[in-house]
Amino acid sequence: MKFYYFHLMPYHMEHDAPSSWVTLSNRHYDPATGHTLYNQYLDQLEQAERLGWDGLCVNEHHQNCYGTMPSPNVMAAMLVRRTTKAKIAILGNGLPLRENPLRIAEEIAMLDVASGGRVISGFVRGISAEYFSTGINPTHSRDRFYEAAELILRAWTEEGPFPFDGRFYRYHYVNPWPRPLQKPHPPVWCPSQGSSETVEWAAKRRFPYLMVFTPIKRIAQIYGEYREACEKNGYKASRYQLTVNVPIVVAENDAKARELARKHVMWVFNVGLRMHPPFWRPPGYMTEASLRRLLTSPPKLPSELEFEEADREGYLIYGSPATVRDKLRVFADELKAGILCSGMTGPSHEQTLEMMQLFAEEVMPHFREDANVDETAGVGR
Amino acid sequence: MPTARELVVRGTPVQMLQDGSGPPLLFLHGAGGAGRWLAFQERLAKDFSVYFPSHPGHGGSPAAEWIEHISDLAFHYLDLLDRLGLERVHLVGASFGGWIAAEVATMASQRLESLVLIDPVGIRVDGWIYPFLFGMDIPEIVTTIFQNPKAALALAPPDQSVDTLALQYRQGTALARVSWNPYLYNPLLRRRLGRIGAPTLLCWGAHDRLAPLAPCGETWAREILGARLRVFAESGHVPHLEEPDAVAEAIGEFCRLREGIG
Repeated sequence: MKFYYFHLMPYHMEHDAPSSWVTLSNRHYDPATGHTLYNQYLDQLEQAERLGWDGLCVNEHHQNCYGTMPSPNVMAAMLVRRTTKAKIAILGNGLPLRENPLRIAEEIAMLDVASGGRVISGFVRGISAEYFSTGINPTHSRDRFYEAAELILRAWTEEGPFPFDGRFYRYHYVNPWPRPLQKPHPPVWCPSQGSSETVEWAAKRRFPYLMVFTPIKRIAQIYGEYREACEKNGYKASRYQLTVNVPIVVAENDAKARELARKHVMWVFNVGLRMHPPFWRPPGYMTEASLRRLLTSPPKLPSELEFEEADREGYLIYGSPATVRDKLRVFADELKAGILCSGMTGPSHEQTLEMMQLFAEEVMPHFREDANVDETAGVGR
Repeated sequence: MPTARELVVRGTPVQMLQDGSGPPLLFLHGAGGAGRWLAFQERLAKDFSVYFPSHPGHGGSPAAEWIEHISDLAFHYLDLLDRLGLERVHLVGASFGGWIAAEVATMASQRLESLVLIDPVGIRVDGWIYPFLFGMDIPEIVTTIFQNPKAALALAPPDQSVDTLALQYRQGTALARVSWNPYLYNPLLRRRLGRIGAPTLLCWGAHDRLAPLAPCGETWAREILGARLRVFAESGHVPHLEEPDAVAEAIGEFCRLREGIG
């Protein structure tokens, strides 16, 4: 199994506002605190490479305390020059959110060239709330996503200049300098929450599918759909196309880990993902079919998720190193996920670093049968 | 009781309610008003042949992928008039429907005996930004739209079934496709209002919080030459729901004057 260290870069705070997204006033953001946090978070990512993580993940969210990385490419740029081996997985960019997606083709190519071909390029639509923050029409989200993806892939792989005449994006000269270093282009990943349209789209193109913060049963179901879609497209999914993101807490014993998980991981769900209900469901963001599926078995709002349920349903993993190893076996052996994208959260920066070290020493080495495999070979392009 | 009709307008299926006798009147509903034949329509049907279609994607009319812009809806209603063989009509539009009606009037005033706009949106008004209904929950929306919240009950969904929620989502989607950004207006419309030649009545709720009389109603009254402005003292954004008889009466009076039958 491959291990990627995932960071949200949250701005941890308690508040009583109805939403941590879009409308939570930025007067709560203290730039001096932010300075410390950004540097600690970047230190953690750099340390992850030294401890043996195979990849580092940054991501894109706007106007919230859940994750303070509106531009993942900026964070990736900082990591490129401070790391040497780790893949850098950019789990933005929100393609439809850009007015000029050619800029994404350019920025990813810059990072790929500068890093010596270590970049993985996530293509996302952006979660529902981003459409309130950016003003982009959510009813265009899916079509803009497909069109921008096509434009970027062509910009990376076809010799320029060429014209592009889309419904949303139009250029007379598509000819970005630099071109990416990886051939035919950096691997593309699709982080998503399981809409069947995205599953089909990703499977058709061999783009790895990443499930973010999803209960384990649902992960199993979506993996099944993805594998089936791959077979329909005439190939068998590589295990490195199945990627999972689950928060992990490891401590010297189960009781201590449980306490830390209850306190720190649940913040992500209960506060970080607290959202004014209309922000979850902008019109037209989902197809009617997806909406009907959702309404038929409505998932619990993250803000209402209780620890016991999160624990039972497998939203998170915690425990002593031995317990965490056992729980990870389910992902590795039963779900056959090839890449684990997980971050850790301790009560302080120092304790987070200690937790990372414990994981790297006591857990990671037990999953290294594939140490010499390149997880990006033939995947994501 | 109105009759429900299904018809196809240049390839686009439409569900329409119809009742009454007298000169033809086309009513264009606002968001959430599709298929709601209430006291207002009942009262109008005493004086007019009322045609009340649901916009594509609203009520019983299926979504139409080709509708991407408010002018598509305006052309759709010109097509509907042709389909119904109506050369000239009284055109009444409320809120979002008022926006469509104003677009129609800038294109084809000669098809209109008269134009009635009830708290329309659709133009950029200096000094006003329409509150963002898409970001509001139901209680916030009711507070923004209604002066008398009891009137909102008439638009309440029958249940919370998957079908009902899916219909609401489809309606929101159809609305958002043409109005998310720019929100509730067409930047080109305001200047075009000067082209409207039909006699125009503006009906406005005194307590409209979505598009307040000042500055919105006053701007419309300035931009449409000769428009008459009637204010309804007990109403918010939807006087035809909040004071249905008074609004229907004002419309009847205004139109009879045009018809020369009053």
